[in-house]
Amino acid sequence: MLPIDPVFLAAGLVTVGAGALVVSLRNPVHSAISMLVAFLGLAVIYLKLGASFLAAMHVLVYTGAILVLFLFVIMMLNLKPDELGIEYPLKIRLAIAGLCGGLFALIAFPLAQDHRELPKQLPAAYGTVETVGTALFTDYALAFELISVLIMVAVFAGVLLAKRKL
Amino acid sequence: MISHYLMVSAALFAIGAFGVLARRNLLIILMSVEIMLNGVNIALLAFARLHGDTQGQVFVLMVMGVAAAEVSVGLAILIAVFRNRKTVDTGDLKSLQG
Repeated sequence: MLPIDPVFLAAGLVTVGAGALVVSLRNPVHSAISMLVAFLGLAVIYLKLGASFLAAMHVLVYTGAILVLFLFVIMMLNLKPDELGIEYPLKIRLAIAGLCGGLFALIAFPLAQDHRELPKQLPAAYGTVETVGTALFTDYALAFELISVLIMVAVFAGVLLAKRKL
Repeated sequence: MISHYLMVSAALFAIGAFGVLARRNLLIILMSVEIMLNGVNIALLAFARLHGDTQGQVFVLMVMGVAAAEVSVGLAILIAVFRNRKTVDTGDLKSLQG
């Protein structure tokens, strides 16, 4: 028995590696494609955590909607290589990388002391549409209604901001 | 073990923070925010799995909804900025600088 589940190890490495590529590549199209890989790795991690409905929603919402929106905007802007902007000098970027490494250590070091095992036995219908849906429409009905208002506002804001002339 | 999932979560959050702080392309900054949100989602799902509780999964659905709203408004602002200023470089956007 391996100390780390091989499927999780592979998915985690792919996700973190693709995430690092997203923030380091210069061309936004390449970043968006790396983000696709990172999102698919994330979906595998969600499945490993028993959240099958959430994994499906993640693929639908993130790769199906958000990523397509990003690619759509990138292609609409049609940036030339000299319009991508000037990045900070390497020295500053390395300093910020060190800072974020410190942030990671700060979060990860206390968490690494947590040796609790995930329970082998799960509630019968854990993570199915039925369980999540029941919680969403009973205990969290108010939050559900409020998020629909938020998305409605976001739709109006998107149209208002991006339209050339109203 | 739960700490493995939390490690991935923390790593994604740190990577996203680096992208927000160190990059000047607005598109990449928005993508980095998405990466940070996803890092938090992993932590929520890991704790939900630890306690065998569905509430964490509902929270993740809410985060996804907020992320979708955030990215649509963010990209609309990006389009408006590019139309007016012909740039996506945050270093060029300093009309509010004193």
